[in-house]
This record gives sequence, structure tokens and C-alpha cells, in this order.
Amino acid sequence: MREAVHTRAVAAAPPGYRRRWRQLDKSLFVWILLIGALMLLVINPLARLLLASFQDGTTGGLTLQNYLSAYGRWRYLEALGNSLVLGISVGALCTVFGVPMAWAVSRTDMPGKGLVWAAILGTFIVPSYLGAVAWILLAGPNAGWLNRVYIGLTGAEAGPFNIYSMPGLVLVVASYSFPYMFVFTRSALDLISSEMEDAAHTLGAGVLRTTLRVTLPLILPAIMGAFIVAFLEAIALFGAPALIALPGRFQVMTTMLWQFFEFPPKVEIAAAYAMPLLAITVALFWLQKKIIARKGYVSLTGKGGERRPLRLGRWRWAMLAYCLFVTALSFFLPMFVILQAAFAKAWGRGFSLDNLTLRNLRFVLFDQSATQAATVHTFVYGATASAIALVLALSIAYIVQRRLVPFGNALSFLAMAPFVIPGIVLAIGFYAAYTRPPLAFYGTAWILILAFATRFLPIAYANSDAAIRSINPELEDAVRILGGSRLMAMRRVVAPLLKRGLAGGFILVFIPATRELSAAIFLYTTRTQVLSVLLFDKSDEGNFEILASIGLILVLGTVALVLAGFRLVGRDFMLRRNPAA
Amino acid sequence: MMAHYRLVFAIVISAILAWVPLAHAFEGEGQLYEAAKKEKELTWYTAHYGSETAAAVCSGFEKKYPGIKCNYIRTTAQVAYQRLAQDQKAGLAVASVIGSTDASHFGRMKQDGWLLKYRPKSLGELIESAVPYNDPDDLFFITAAGLVVITYNTSVVKEAEAPKRWTDLLEPRWKGKVSIGHPGFSGYVGTWVVQMRKLYGWDYFKKLELNKPRIGRSINDTVTMLNAKESWVAAGPSATTLQSRDKGNPLALVYPEDGALLMISPSGILKNAPAPNAGKLFVEYLFSKECNEIMVKLREESINKHVKVLPGARSLATVKTIRPSYEEIEKGIPEVKEQFRDTFGI
Repeated sequence: MREAVHTRAVAAAPPGYRRRWRQLDKSLFVWILLIGALMLLVINPLARLLLASFQDGTTGGLTLQNYLSAYGRWRYLEALGNSLVLGISVGALCTVFGVPMAWAVSRTDMPGKGLVWAAILGTFIVPSYLGAVAWILLAGPNAGWLNRVYIGLTGAEAGPFNIYSMPGLVLVVASYSFPYMFVFTRSALDLISSEMEDAAHTLGAGVLRTTLRVTLPLILPAIMGAFIVAFLEAIALFGAPALIALPGRFQVMTTMLWQFFEFPPKVEIAAAYAMPLLAITVALFWLQKKIIARKGYVSLTGKGGERRPLRLGRWRWAMLAYCLFVTALSFFLPMFVILQAAFAKAWGRGFSLDNLTLRNLRFVLFDQSATQAATVHTFVYGATASAIALVLALSIAYIVQRRLVPFGNALSFLAMAPFVIPGIVLAIGFYAAYTRPPLAFYGTAWILILAFATRFLPIAYANSDAAIRSINPELEDAVRILGGSRLMAMRRVVAPLLKRGLAGGFILVFIPATRELSAAIFLYTTRTQVLSVLLFDKSDEGNFEILASIGLILVLGTVALVLAGFRLVGRDFMLRRNPAA
Repeated sequence: MMAHYRLVFAIVISAILAWVPLAHAFEGEGQLYEAAKKEKELTWYTAHYGSETAAAVCSGFEKKYPGIKCNYIRTTAQVAYQRLAQDQKAGLAVASVIGSTDASHFGRMKQDGWLLKYRPKSLGELIESAVPYNDPDDLFFITAAGLVVITYNTSVVKEAEAPKRWTDLLEPRWKGKVSIGHPGFSGYVGTWVVQMRKLYGWDYFKKLELNKPRIGRSINDTVTMLNAKESWVAAGPSATTLQSRDKGNPLALVYPEDGALLMISPSGILKNAPAPNAGKLFVEYLFSKECNEIMVKLREESINKHVKVLPGARSLATVKTIRPSYEEIEKGIPEVKEQFRDTFGI
């Protein structure tokens, strides 16, 4: 109907023009719009940063001195090496944590799936610097609770756990990054029909062999995408390393970067120091391409397919125990510490009834006027940013996958690039790009929203990329063959298939945006304060009771909103077994 | 006789009532207040205290001068300066008053012409020991003071066994149990390191390294370390430690025999202040008795010489304090940051 009206309107135009208009693929305009958005969000700030890395701080002339200063010392190189070790270890541990859990929740009859999912959601919501503080109390070498329990049980002189070490940092960072792995692999697993596994069974393969040889290889792109996200997040993190690496006597790139912001700040050297990380991102993508090249990963076709849970028998309890073990590390134990502190008059006194108080929460909620405004800002900015990032990421992923434009790989690189830039450096790029007319966003909420959208665009992109990769182009080709336009194919076929992935992707961006710190701290003003900044300011005030209370508000607020979101989209959209229905 | 007595009483009371506001107000307060009210609100960047204290100072100001809203942005010294520099570069006028714990920032701001010349009428209230640190050109003045002292957890260290001098922290019995901050993150720690180097040479830190101290960022991190019993003794801040003790945490402090480090922190009014009159009024208020009574209650040091400390702390006048000069700090902090990284590896 709409098409008909449209045709009649066009019919009024001159015949030659009309013919050309009809032959023109209208989706072109969408693509131009997208490239414009990428210019605004990624290219402009990164170009400014690149320029700064070659600029003399005072004169503004071109120089290589920044690179010499940034890489001229062994200490600086060592920190980069540590960051690489951290990133790779975190990626590996996230795989060990996340993939079996995703498999258990998606493909098996393991009990307690709701609980496991809730704990993972909770994990994802806790900012890693808050988790790091809790872990210091759990596994501090002298007085950590876990060490005290160990000493109490074995009578040993000292406990085995030392959070102030590289393994300690890896554990903490991985605990807060594995939800990426879980969500990515789970959405991929949900799309695989049991037929493929049945085929393997029929040919005589057991459960283990089928899983390793059929199921896991099919979700390899998702695992690799999540690995990259976890790797990049680990090397760009500042809060947790500052709390754990420094007392553990080692530096990573981000804590080293801090030096360049000491008074007087040397932004140019910081920019130079951050640049080679882009090369690492490129290398990772090349590797991903190399590994998954020439294999098919299409699992969502138009042919239906049945998904049945795998019967694990007695092993289902072992699987549940594993899930609970991981979530105990990431969620239950740290939350226990935070709850204790939030409701304690003096947390150094430990547990007792007369140590309980609501004073901290009352102060944070009512006496500190900033909290209420910051709470509203946090959630409004987070939601807006995730909507922007998601629309952008899906469109780019689609263009790249369907090869609609040349230089698709460049687009996909641009979409992933912001992740590798530490938030603090990204903030400087944004600041340099958007403080002057015509685009003077500094001082408004938009600079925060755009910075959040840019910073988490890679998550949205990796998620969208995996989702689109799994949709067989035949489905859209069917539309095109029957005379529908590409936009129609997207609206009527691709979008409905992606609906569930969209909701998941939204939450994947929304949550990190609510806890984003390193960019926010340089871009907020009095009128645009957010909770993460409030929280960080507390982290060096030695006031853990108040810190825990703000953390609790952030966590509870986000949980409430996410649950409300579930309700809106359909309560079970995260747990539904049949995605294409 | 009775009536006569009452009359005398009434006269005395009204004399006191009349005298009290006069004694604490400053010249031109009424005019400044009227002008400030027209500006409606002011924004204050501060690194001087925790946000609980900053909130209390702001609400005290709003109570004393109704009709003017006080917004604070409490952050660390480096971030406060960085933000202000961003605002200045972008041509944004946000803050009216800036307070930093890093005195070298003020030298730079003065040089860059960001500060407004103003001589507070209440300067006479300032404690004597801080007066020499005011800017001779009236661009910034001391509005906050703090001490770095030896702190410890009373549930693991007895009072008699606690360290008495800075050099006691080097004893082998504290191995793995000392907590300090990092000069690259904290102005307090940087100044403390400069002072220790001045007293005992860099050897002090080489020996301290043998005790494998736990190094946090901010000086306040030592409070968390002590509360968690992860460390037993520390070079910590008096205010935050006492604040945490007032809540019931098992902490105590020792004023070292070789001197507690005095930290004095300046504030200035910005030339591009959106609310210059409210800024001036706010600075006057920082010197006032009301404001410093709030400070003392929250365990910060008073910079008003008439305000008495609460039990559990000693007044600045009775403590032996030590402090490097501005020049020593300005030159010393970048040096000790490097030395610190060489010795401790971070």
C-alpha cells in the first residue's frame, strides 16, 4: 500500500529522473548517514588524538619526541608487557568461566538456570573497581577473609591467597568481564538447532565429542569476539589495576598513563603511548579473520529446527556447582562484603548487631544532594548512549557482512577501535574535538552520551556482528527476489530475527555505560554528574562505608531498571529457548 | 532590687547579642551578601577534604547566607586542576572558587592569570602558622590545614608498642605491615616524601623498602588498609583517620616526636568566576567560626584561631609540626616521584 502511494508520488517527476530514482538503492542514504555518525564519534576524536601524538606540547609543531619519551624507558615498556599478559590471561580465564556456563544454561537440563543467570547479571552490574575493593578484603595476604578461613581450617601460618599479584588482578578483572563471554556465546548457542548435534549422535559421537567437535566450533566467532572484548577491556581498565597492581608492585599501561597526566599534564605523550594499542586491535582482527576464514558458521536458516536440552544426568549437579563457584567469586562473595560495609557503622569492627546502621544509605540518598541527580543522569545517559551505539553497530555489522560498500573492513575496524583507547585518552580526544564551535558539546549531557556510545560501540558491534553472521543471507535474498527492497528485507526479516539479540545488546551496552568512569571523570560538570564519578571520588577518601552505599544504590538501581526492561520486552526474552519463533 | 537585677541582666544579654554578630561579621558583609544573592549560586572545585566535609561546608554556607546555592565538586588535586584547565581552555566559566592541596598549582594559575585579586576581610582570623603561606599579591590564601601522622590499628597494635617517630616505621617488626600512599597520586604523600627526604635523606625510603610497605594511591587509602588489618601501621592523615575512628573503627594516631607534617592548602577566586561576589563571600565564610566548627566536628583542622578542637585530637598549636617551603615542594615533588618509582618499582 505504502509502496503504491510512493510510486504515484514519484510518477509526477520527469521520466528520466524517475527511472534513475527507482533504480537507485535508497538504502544508500542510510549508509551515508552511518558513515557521518562514525566520523563524529570515532574518526574525529581519534584523528585529533593521532595529531596530538605528533605535536609539540607548547609550540604545536610536528615532532617525534612524544614517541621517544613514551617508549624511551624500560619501565614504560614493561608496563605495556604487563598489560598484554593481563589482557591475554583475562581473555583465557573468561573463556574458562563463561563458555561452560553458557553451554550449561543454553543447551542442557541443568537446574537453577534462573539463579545462575541472575548472578551473572549481578556480576555484570558491579563496577570492577567496587569488586576490586571487596576482593582486597577477601584475599588480602595478611587479613583477607579467605586466608583467615584457610588458616582457621588448616592451622597454617599464612593463607595461600594474595590478591596483590598478577594472578589476583587477572582473577578480579576476569570476574567482571566473563559476562561478555557468557552473553556472546550463549546467544550463539541458542541459535544452533539440535539437528546438527543429532547428526553427530547418529553417527556415534558421545555428548562430549559432539560438544567439542560440533557445537563449540559453530560458536567460535562468538567466542573470539568475546575474547577480544575481554582482552581490550582488561588492558584499558584503570580502577581495578590502580587498587591491586600498585600495592602489588607492578604497573600496567593505564597506571603508567596516569603519570603523563600528572602536573603539568603531558597529553601529547599520553596520546603517543596509547597509539600502538590500535595496532594490537588490528592484529587481533586479522587473527580472527584468519582463523574463521573459509568455514561456515551459518546456523540460523529459514528451515526451522528444533532445540532440545541435552540430558546431563548426574552431571547436571556438577555443572550447577561450577556455575555457582564462578558466580561466588564474581558476585556472591564480593556483594556480601559490600552489604556488610554499607550497613555498618564501622566496617573495621566486623559483624555484630550493634554495628548495624542505615545512616550511610541515608546520607548518600538524602543528605548528599548530588546523589539523586547523579542517579537520574546515570540511567538516562546510559540508556540514550546504548540506543545510539546499538543502531549504529547493527547497521555497520549488516553493511560489512553483506558487503554493501567497499572498505567494509575499515568500517568494522573503526567500530572496534574505541575500545582499545583508554577512557581517559578517549575523553581527551572528545574534549579536543567537541569544545569549540560548531560542535561545542562540552558542558552538556551530549558529550557524555556520545562518549559512552563511542566507548561501548565495540561491544554493541561484536554482539551485532555475531548475530548477523548467523542469519543466512538466503532469507533476505528471498525478499529481494520477490521484489522487496533491501530496507524492506531489513525491516520485515532481519529486524524480527534480531529482536531478541537487540534487547540483549542494549543491556550489554547500558550496564557498562552506567558504571563508566574514566571518560566521565573528565567530561562531567556540576550539572551532569554521574554515579560512577561520585563512587570513584569516594574510593580515595578512605570512607568505605559510604563507598559501599553508593555502590549498592548503583547496583540496585541498575537491577531494577533491567528487570523493568525484562517486563517490557517479555519477561523471558533472556531465557527463551526458541529465538526465531 | 529584683527589677534592677533584671534590667542589668537584660542589658548584658542584649549587649552580648549585639556584640556577637558584630564580632564575627566582617566589614562590608551586608553589601557583599546582597550582591552575592543576585548571583543566586556558586560552584566550588575542592580537593581539600572528603565529600562528606565538603557537603557540610556547603550546607553551612547556605544556612548562614540563605538564597545562595552552593555546589561543590570534590575531587583529587590533579583532577581538580585538570578540569579547571579544560574549562579555561574551552572558555567555560563554571567554578568561582578553587581549592587544591597541591600548592604548585597556585603558582601556575597565578602565572597564567586565572586568579582574581582579593584580600579577605577575615584574614585576621587565620591561625598564625599559616599566615606566611598566603600569596603576597592577594591571589590565593590558606583556607585548610591537615596533618600527616603515624596511624595504627588498635586491635593489633598496643598503644605502648606503636611507633613514636617516623624512623620507627623502619624497624623490622613492621615488615609487610606498613601502609603508605603514592606521591604520583597524592599531594599529601608527595609533600611527606619531600619532608622525609629532607630529614633523613633518600636512605629512609631505601630502608623502608626492606619492610615491603603496602603502597596505595591516596593517603586516605592507608585508612582502608588499617581498617582491613591488611596493614598495622601507616603514614596517614589525621582527619580521615579520626573521622573513621569516630564511627567506631579501631584506629588511633601518634603525633611523631620528630614532627607531624603540616599540610596547608590554599584557595583562590577565579577571574572568570560566574559568581565573583558569592565567591568572595564564600572565601570569607571559609575563615569564619561557623565553618571551622563544622571542620572540627568532622575532624579536619581548624584554620580559625578561635575554634577549639574536640577531644581525641590535639590543636595545631600544641603539635610539633614540620613542613618544607614552597620552593622545596615545587622542586622536590617531581624529583621524589622519580626516586620513589626507582626505589619501589611503581
